[in-house]
Amino acid sequence: MKRLKFSDLLITIMIGVVFGITMKFWDDLYTVVKPMLPIARQLLYGMWFMVGPFAFLLIRKPGVALLASIAAASLSAFIGGGFTVLIYGFVQGLAAELLFASFRYKKFGIVVAGLAGVASCFAGFFLDLFYGYANLESWALFVKYGLRVVSAFLFTGVFAYLIVRALEATGVTNLIRPVSKEEYSLLDN
Amino acid sequence: MLELFTPHRETWLYRVNPALKFVVFFAFMLIVLFNQNFHFALNQLILYGVLVYSFSGYSWRKLLLFSVPIVISFVSSAATMMLFGKGVTIWWSWGLIKISEESFNYGLLLGFKTLSFGFISLVFLLTSRPILLFYALMQQFRLPSKYAYSFIASIRLMPVIVEELQTRSDALKIRGVHFPKGLKGIFQRLRMYTVPLFAQSIRRAQRVAVAMEAKRFQMGAKRTYYYPTTYERVDAVFVIVMVVSFASALVLSVR
Repeated sequence: MKRLKFSDLLITIMIGVVFGITMKFWDDLYTVVKPMLPIARQLLYGMWFMVGPFAFLLIRKPGVALLASIAAASLSAFIGGGFTVLIYGFVQGLAAELLFASFRYKKFGIVVAGLAGVASCFAGFFLDLFYGYANLESWALFVKYGLRVVSAFLFTGVFAYLIVRALEATGVTNLIRPVSKEEYSLLDN
Repeated sequence: MLELFTPHRETWLYRVNPALKFVVFFAFMLIVLFNQNFHFALNQLILYGVLVYSFSGYSWRKLLLFSVPIVISFVSSAATMMLFGKGVTIWWSWGLIKISEESFNYGLLLGFKTLSFGFISLVFLLTSRPILLFYALMQQFRLPSKYAYSFIASIRLMPVIVEELQTRSDALKIRGVHFPKGLKGIFQRLRMYTVPLFAQSIRRAQRVAVAMEAKRFQMGAKRTYYYPTTYERVDAVFVIVMVVSFASALVLSVR
């Protein structure tokens, strides 16, 4: 159906890179300001799931969520995040991509984007199980990942959606989105 | 900044095919991730530590400096697990904090993994050039050129994006923008910073793509490469050294 053109591809990867840089910038700032606030840290964790759903809401084509997530992760890996970021980015992006695919890439709303974030969160949890981050007492486990799910929905659903809306207002989305049938039919009159 | 990342001397690791090096290290990383054996984790950590400190070609002082963030993440991940991890044989407890034998060992295991990841990544980053990695991935591992060149173009444009982010940050500061506390503030900050950045980057990426296609860049077409990369003898040496040292790390741990 809607195949990716070269410009879509380049834009997707560029979005990933911009996200990678912004996240790094913020993470540094945050580490300096609040080193020991675990709860706030979990509440902001959803930021790391944002890139894939955001790219999909913007470009609305299959494959974009996964690709943007990999791009952001590769960039973070290069500027000091290390190889682990790469595997997390891949798995989280894949989860978001599969969620969009399960809606046949036809839904672009807050709920679907939020669910994609939650899917990424679960995928990340799966990796944490192997890494060893999830070997916590049950209350700590519940608090940590509970907050993370809430944050995932908030960032990927609400925030990403609103930012895409703001970008639509700037007009740049006209460069990328496929022209719909209704818009063609407008020309007929 | 540039001087910081200039090696003391170029070791044999610099001449290994970057894509091969990437694939081997990536495979090691997966093994570290899924391994749950304490001794194996420790042996691997020693292996990667030796790799960074003896073969990266940087001086001790610089390497210690680069290791600071890795050690910090070691301490934070190990400490959290020791204090809040689950376990039965309790050594010490105070309120919600509970240190047990199991949580202590898990904490160390987690810490070893974090250190190993840090060292593998560091040795790769210090001895490889990102652009050549993509060229080698295209030539030796058949990565489609559309992805590789998109990445290369994005990496080349990175300094521009960083500069824009800085400009945006300065602009907001000089306009005296204050953000409210809490989630609303976080969202406003996110919007204020990223919307102009995204708008600019999307336009720029679109222009670059059009320009590349105007110069006859075609997706999926057969092509030649500006930087040819091949396999050489040093690659065989690399694979043998890695396999042997990795196998000995494994054998020494199961004894």
